[in-house]
Amino acid sequence: MDRDVVSILKAIASLPRGLWITFSYLFRRPITIQYPEEKAELPLRFRGRLVMPIDQQKGTNRCTACMRCVTICPNHSIDIEPEKDPGGEQKPRPARYLYNLGTCMFCNLCVEVCPFFALVMSDEHELATTERSGLVIDLVKERYRLSGKKAGWWQQKFRSAAGEE
Amino acid sequence: MGRFLYDLFYNTDTVLAGWSAAAHASWAAHGRPAVALDVLFQLCAAAAVGLFLVLNALFIIYFERKVAARMQLRRGPNRVGPLGILQTLADTIKLLIKEDIIPDAADRGLFRVAPVIVLAATFMLFVVLPFGKGLTAADINVGLVYFLAIGSLTVIGILAGGWASNNKYSLMGGMRSAAQIVSYEVPAVLTVLSVAMLAGSLKMGDIVTAQPVYGYVLLQPIGFLLFLTASNAEINRAPFDLPESDSELVSGFVTEYSAMRFAFFFLGEYTNLFLAAAFATTLFLGGWRGPLLPPIVWFLLKTYFVVFLLIWVRWTFPRLRVDHLMQFSWKVLLPLSLANLVVTAVLVKAL
Repeated sequence: MDRDVVSILKAIASLPRGLWITFSYLFRRPITIQYPEEKAELPLRFRGRLVMPIDQQKGTNRCTACMRCVTICPNHSIDIEPEKDPGGEQKPRPARYLYNLGTCMFCNLCVEVCPFFALVMSDEHELATTERSGLVIDLVKERYRLSGKKAGWWQQKFRSAAGEE
Repeated sequence: MGRFLYDLFYNTDTVLAGWSAAAHASWAAHGRPAVALDVLFQLCAAAAVGLFLVLNALFIIYFERKVAARMQLRRGPNRVGPLGILQTLADTIKLLIKEDIIPDAADRGLFRVAPVIVLAATFMLFVVLPFGKGLTAADINVGLVYFLAIGSLTVIGILAGGWASNNKYSLMGGMRSAAQIVSYEVPAVLTVLSVAMLAGSLKMGDIVTAQPVYGYVLLQPIGFLLFLTASNAEINRAPFDLPESDSELVSGFVTEYSAMRFAFFFLGEYTNLFLAAAFATTLFLGGWRGPLLPPIVWFLLKTYFVVFLLIWVRWTFPRLRVDHLMQFSWKVLLPLSLANLVVTAVLVKAL
């Protein structure tokens, strides 16, 4: 009997508590982000479209056309046409690096497998095009420049790797 | 001019009576029957009430959406017009120009009549609503009885709509609504009765003037809560929104309704919310009485405050289970309101 009374009183006391919660929320800032006008700050490791950024020190990309990304890509989204670097050491480099956005599933495997840190998943996420041909991008020709926090994070990655060697 | 405006807001009854007398005098001078003028006046009043009903529902829907959004840390409508104030207007226009669909298996006549019954019942309730001093369409001496009687007409429309849709969800929604309104009518009437005993009258105007400055809410705190709960259940709003509970009955009795007929139901629903708040104001919060501001402003302020209370409750509490709903009415609200009535009766007699 006593337990019943206590539970009833507790239930009644819970009503104003619930009301207080909703009332206090009335004066908080809405957490909605009005998307096209405002954009959320993306996390550092956000996986947007694949890019092959320009290394500021080399003045070009870091790719050596080793084909590891082509091999590991589950969807065959990457196609490389290699060529010999005309200058000096005759290292191979990509003449064209064709990335098919239409089949990419943003799994990040190509970025992880790359021994030269040539690839990065960028922050670009508004990727709609009006034509299918717009989905195949030549990353070499694009000469993408990373900016903001992501650029520092990326440079940090290959500098620390170079330090370890 | 200032004097006239002051009278218009603070002594509306004398101004209106003056206009009426002047119009009657010039009407009689042309030798026309006075009845025609009275009918004309009534039509004007009806048009004014109709306009108020629509604008008020538009505002309350917007208000509820904004409050609900803020309580859930959202922004609510903010695209159509400044702060989204025209959102409900846009929705209404959309509903009015959409295709009017009547299901093949529906009872066509009843299906068409049902939303009109709901809206007509809510419209009729405005007759006894005291907006301000002398601002009552007809301050009849059984106003309270009229309010209770007409207020429960809505259920006929809801039940008819549920039945005529020929859809199991609609029918269940309609049946639930009927059961719910019948059950919650009883505690509502009992609490209203204790107010009537305190005021010694069933006339809306008398109940307002008989109240002390602070209203009956301090003399009848339990009565006020009981009335709010019971009328919240009668207007089918959460946590008592079983007749249209989305998660079990699709949309209950409005499942098959679309376009204008749906708009009618929606309009009726939100007008009922306003009316429940308005009667709570009249019976417990001192109606249009208050210092400084004109009576009509006080009345609307208090009413929208009660509307806010009901919206607040709706967006806080989860829905009751259908068997708990009946138990809550018959086992909790009814004994409480009976006890409230008896105590009030004894105190009124003793003091």
